Amino acid sequence: MLQAYKLSIIYYLIFSLLLIVSAVMLFDNNIGFTIESIVSYYLGDEEKFIASKSMSGILKLILPHTFVFGLFAMVILHFLVFTKHRYKKSTLILIFLVFFTSFTEITSPFMIISGFEFFAYIKLLSFISFLTLSLYTIWLLFHSIVYD
Amino acid sequence: MKFTLVKNIQKDSAMSMVLKGFLVFILFYLIADILVMNSSFGLSVNSISTTLYGNEDEYIDAINKASFLEFWHTQIFFIMMVLLTLNAIFIRMAKRSRVILTNILMISAITSLTSLPLAYYLSDFFVNVYITSYFIWHILAVYMIFYSFWKLNAPSV
Repeated sequence: MLQAYKLSIIYYLIFSLLLIVSAVMLFDNNIGFTIESIVSYYLGDEEKFIASKSMSGILKLILPHTFVFGLFAMVILHFLVFTKHRYKKSTLILIFLVFFTSFTEITSPFMIISGFEFFAYIKLLSFISFLTLSLYTIWLLFHSIVYD
Repeated sequence: MKFTLVKNIQKDSAMSMVLKGFLVFILFYLIADILVMNSSFGLSVNSISTTLYGNEDEYIDAINKASFLEFWHTQIFFIMMVLLTLNAIFIRMAKRSRVILTNILMISAITSLTSLPLAYYLSDFFVNVYITSYFIWHILAVYMIFYSFWKLNAPSV
């Protein structure tokens, strides 16, 4: 691969880190990292003056995120094809898990407002897993570009 | 990203046309970005400071934390996607200056994005850093668009 393309990918990884930092800050500010705060964010809380979310409200929120999650995952994961990790089974598992966790992160709010409060755990777990797996992919790419 | 593998883009009329069309859209995006930023967030030290910190004399409230974080989050995503694709085309077209210009473009864009939360949470000094780096990467991106366009019309790349 051309040196300039490697440079461009490294900068893309830095942008991805910034995106992850902003996502964590946004999640912390809007929803919160406890199960209680996730449940009250979606189901509402009179004491905290939080209105409950509706199906259409969640749909409006996830509409751009569905495309963005898919695009973001596709772009960082497709760079793995240019590395030595291309033919590893672990890479296939990683690709599956990134898409799977992003899917559950996006769809779990529907289950929460449908009465399945247990999905607040799924929401939190999938959000953290998606970001952790994205960070792991970023590290794999960075390591491959710098050392291979 | 197939265009990164095509040997002579000028002879591949379809790919050349696709890239030219895409460059026009990135140019429109950058112009629209400047216009929208100017009318909503501000593009001068005074207007950005008013947006971020409010202005008691004019009874303007500061932007709330949730709105600021949403704005920052979306800015990061759009800028990273625009610059990745534009830079990929530019690298394919330019021969000599591509590494230095890639460095300046990306560093100024990252500086611009990181100075936003620093201005919001730490000090108004970073508003100056934000404006300077914002215009540097915009000017450079416009240069890359015109250079790539010109190269796509050149006899051979």
